[in-house]
Amino acid sequence: MAEVCFQYDDGPVIRERFNFGQFPIMLKSKYCHLRGADPQKLVSCREEPSEMGGYFILNGLERVVRLLILPKRNYPMSMVRNSFSDRREGYTDKAVVIRCERKNQSSVSVKLYYLRNGSARLGFWIQGREYLLPVGVVLKALVDTTDHEIYVSLTCCYSERDEMEKGAVGTQLMGERAKIILDEVRDLSLFTRLQCLEHIGEHFQPVMEGLETKSYSDVADSVLEDYIFVHLDNNYDKFNLLIFMLQKLFSLIDQTSVPDNSDSLQNQEVLLPGHLITIYLKEKLEDWLRKAKKSLQDEINKKSNINNKGSNNKNKSFDFCSLADVKKILDKNPVKQISSSVENLLKTGRLITQTGLDLQQRAGFTVQAERLNFLRFISHFRAVHRGASFAGLRTTTVRKLLPESWGFLCPVHTPDGEPCGLLNHMTSNCRITSFFDSQGNIRDFKKIRKTILSVLIAVGMTPSLPNLVQAGPPEVLSVLLDGRVVGSLPSSMVEKVVGHLRRLKVSANAMIANDLEVGYVPLSLGGAYPGLYLFTSPARFVRPVRNISIPSEESQNIELIGPFEQVFMEIRCPDGGDGGRRNAFPATHEEIHPTGMLSVVANLTPWSDHNQSPRNMYQCQMAKQTMAFSSQAINFRADQKLYHLQTPQSPIVRTSSYTKYGIDEYPSGTNAIVAVLAYTGYDMEDAMILNKSSVERGMCRGQIYQTETIDLTEQSSRSDHSQKIFRRSNVNKSMHSTIDSDGLPYVGQTIQQNQPYYCTYDEVTSTTRPYNRKGSEPVVVDYVALDGKNKEHPRKANIRFRHPRNPVIGDKFSSRHGQKGVCSQLWPDIDMPFSGVTGMRPDLIINPHAFPSRMTIAMLLESVAAKGGSLHGYFVDATPFTIPVKKDNADSKPKTSSLEETDGKTESKPNSLVEELGEMLKERGFNYHGVEVLYSGVYGTELTCEIFIGPVYYQRLRHMVSDKYQVRSTGTIDQVTRQPIKGRKRGGGIRFGEMERDSMLAHGAAYLLHDRLHTCSDYHIADVCTLCGSILATTSIQQQKQIQKPKKFGGLPPARPPKKVICHACQSSKGMETVAMPYVFRYLAAELAAMNIKMTLQLSNAAGA
Amino acid sequence: MDPPPEQVNYICGDCGMENTLKPGDVIQCRECGYRILYKKRTRRIVQYEAR
Repeated sequence: MAEVCFQYDDGPVIRERFNFGQFPIMLKSKYCHLRGADPQKLVSCREEPSEMGGYFILNGLERVVRLLILPKRNYPMSMVRNSFSDRREGYTDKAVVIRCERKNQSSVSVKLYYLRNGSARLGFWIQGREYLLPVGVVLKALVDTTDHEIYVSLTCCYSERDEMEKGAVGTQLMGERAKIILDEVRDLSLFTRLQCLEHIGEHFQPVMEGLETKSYSDVADSVLEDYIFVHLDNNYDKFNLLIFMLQKLFSLIDQTSVPDNSDSLQNQEVLLPGHLITIYLKEKLEDWLRKAKKSLQDEINKKSNINNKGSNNKNKSFDFCSLADVKKILDKNPVKQISSSVENLLKTGRLITQTGLDLQQRAGFTVQAERLNFLRFISHFRAVHRGASFAGLRTTTVRKLLPESWGFLCPVHTPDGEPCGLLNHMTSNCRITSFFDSQGNIRDFKKIRKTILSVLIAVGMTPSLPNLVQAGPPEVLSVLLDGRVVGSLPSSMVEKVVGHLRRLKVSANAMIANDLEVGYVPLSLGGAYPGLYLFTSPARFVRPVRNISIPSEESQNIELIGPFEQVFMEIRCPDGGDGGRRNAFPATHEEIHPTGMLSVVANLTPWSDHNQSPRNMYQCQMAKQTMAFSSQAINFRADQKLYHLQTPQSPIVRTSSYTKYGIDEYPSGTNAIVAVLAYTGYDMEDAMILNKSSVERGMCRGQIYQTETIDLTEQSSRSDHSQKIFRRSNVNKSMHSTIDSDGLPYVGQTIQQNQPYYCTYDEVTSTTRPYNRKGSEPVVVDYVALDGKNKEHPRKANIRFRHPRNPVIGDKFSSRHGQKGVCSQLWPDIDMPFSGVTGMRPDLIINPHAFPSRMTIAMLLESVAAKGGSLHGYFVDATPFTIPVKKDNADSKPKTSSLEETDGKTESKPNSLVEELGEMLKERGFNYHGVEVLYSGVYGTELTCEIFIGPVYYQRLRHMVSDKYQVRSTGTIDQVTRQPIKGRKRGGGIRFGEMERDSMLAHGAAYLLHDRLHTCSDYHIADVCTLCGSILATTSIQQQKQIQKPKKFGGLPPARPPKKVICHACQSSKGMETVAMPYVFRYLAAELAAMNIKMTLQLSNAAGA
Repeated sequence: MDPPPEQVNYICGDCGMENTLKPGDVIQCRECGYRILYKKRTRRIVQYEAR
């Protein structure tokens, strides 16, 4: 619902309500029924007890809005792009760009181009066209100012004595450029502010809507308001910012500062779902108003036309002054379109917009949150995409892992292959600043800024507003607060001010927002453009670190920092050494824990610091395709496809985040006893042998739930208006074995391939029709739900099938260290090797060759640790980087890890992990190195080597042969070419392609080649007329009379009469020959004939034939 | 001619009440009016041998 206000000639405002339809509600948002529900209530609502919300449900699918990287708002960024110089003659490749964001989150980018003649142009987009204005005009139009004032403000950042000093950004060319800029304005003969405004207004009147009747200066005012620095509402602030941007641009040209890297996280923020929907909704409402205006205008015009004609058409009369009439017109405009377009955005992820909303892409804004397993699900919410426009880019620069993203984006958790480096995941610590505070109230950014401002002035900042002229670096630094030049600070003082701000940030009595970003870019020689940049805006990345420069209590020194300030901060990390900072730059901050740089999924890999890094990446991939306990509410879900692991276990070896995130609610694997040995040869090349008895005991068992929705209303609407209901036929008793009397299957019934499982009855034609089960495997009916929600008699049924999926040869498994393998045999338990001491047989055998080249040492550690853990009866902590952290905290209190409890008894402190783990085994009388004497299961003889054996947590991946195998002898063929079709679903074949053909040729396997490519494909015998050489003109003639005659005689049936074939072109059957050929050849001849090309075959008996 | 319409038992998705429906009945729980009903598990023998 929304209110539309009417106002007639300064009369009182009339408010009318229009129903704009319904708005999709995000789960657990303010308007969601589940908001604030405790786990108990969630369970009673048949939801996940740990439901986190944050997604939309549309058509029964869970859709998430993707987080997209955007350029940082309200920060002028200097850029070098070749495309800038192509803009027009005289443009260079350098510019300063700022993406300004209004309060309502819609943004307008403004670009300040440098021209080769030393001037600059301000560029901005209106309705898909870029408009360029000389800066001088804009400067003068903004504020009543003099040329001298502009000159002084531009050149203030240069003074001769500072030249070549550290932090100097100005050069003597500044004066020259200022003169050029001012000359340009003079050349246009614009001297006063009014003249400038009228100049702008004159040019923009055609493109500014609704201002056709206004004066030029009013138009110009609204151009300045709506398109230039929209985040500021004061023209003086805009003027100051423009001056600042000019100075930054000139310093970029003079190489006293370097361009900002738009690919680094330092200059980026994120597009949040709420912001996207807000700007989309705004645009749609604007559209609606525009359309409403047009239709009103049309109506008025029509009326005046009628009046002119003088006809008295009364029912056409439309009174603009009558509210009811206006409302009627407005209602003609489809009002509900707004809600449906927002819904469509979420459903399809496509933006349908005229303006583009200052976004780089139009599609791919939402994705489905698959519940394959919990880790995959949660990863959808932590994923940050660089933008679809970068996916097609040939350069790899955008994909590079930059040091700026440390602590914010996980270096491990990115897919390999196509989206590598574009689709990143936030680290477990990383958060995003929000429009709301932690209580869910909207934050008052104006107030936040005001307090910051007063704090700054209190510590000695010179505010910028009263006077425009100020000095520049290196003496003083400009202070920008959310893209507004608020003042300047003497550069000697800045460090102290920054420290003061940070102290206020973490202090409990929150004078200053705790997520304020204090980006202090220090003076440098040709480095980043200096200044103090403060950001309070939402949608920034932010992460906690410990501020060690503040001597205070434990709880009060956690500071939230952003990627912009992080670059210029000294943050110490355990295991990071001194980071090269030595004593000159003492660390002011400290990482809370090194694992903070990893994402949630990467954090679950035990001892990932002992693995080769790509293996950790593979594990992140595979953890997300594991068949696991996907949902607690699985009984109440009707997903299209759900994978479910029947017998999951909690890993013995786990990281601290495993407990922190409660992954035990959604376990995803089995602790399998893994022996590393080459046994039977069935474990070569990443194959693995499973113990048949273990599988029969339930290891890695699972199933797939598949839901089928049968909506009879849909079916009947497609065909004629027949009414259909579920009912089984009483005549045909053969169906009764699988279909119940209500026309639906029995619950618990196994349905084989091609058996009927439901039956409909058409009330109009009074016929029953059974439907057969497709698919290749038997399924069990898990539940049948009747849905009567749409009251109509034809009804809807959800049938959920259960595909049993127990491990078979060809299924894929993996450990948590990127070590995947395929089951090659289900080996009988009695033939498995057994331990000489315990008599234990492994559940799983992998080949020792899996280790040397892959260097997944953590897997070996896991095996030893899990063995020790299960012997001692506790879970082993495998958090990476604990040893260096422990060393750092050696003097402080010892960590309470289960490992150390045992160490407490033995006085000698082990200094390596291996020693620790080895001691655990030794204590219980096992081999220190985790090896055991094994006996051959077949011969009973001792194996020559001691075998490394121990429990390793194994995941079952969702790739299963039952979904993939493809066989065909004969089957469906293509109608046109008569060749076998492709596709597993349709029983097609696998293409025997060109390269396969080449290899056959190379082997000289001609018969096989002929068999595969001809006999088994589109073998065809064609009749060819040798007289005319055509294969198309020949037709066989059936001679029916001749067949009938011999019947009377009895005895042997006559030999089949020779087929009479006649050539239509030659009208004879003389030169007929039969030739074997591929059927496509005949098709080719027909196609050519259609193009008026005749194909002639010349047959000859070659020597061999 | 036709045998009397057989009845099938359903369980309400909301309150768990057992409902009996004939073909052509409105799909609605008699107790709470909930409109999604689940079929009961069949009483027939589904598996003959337990290997």
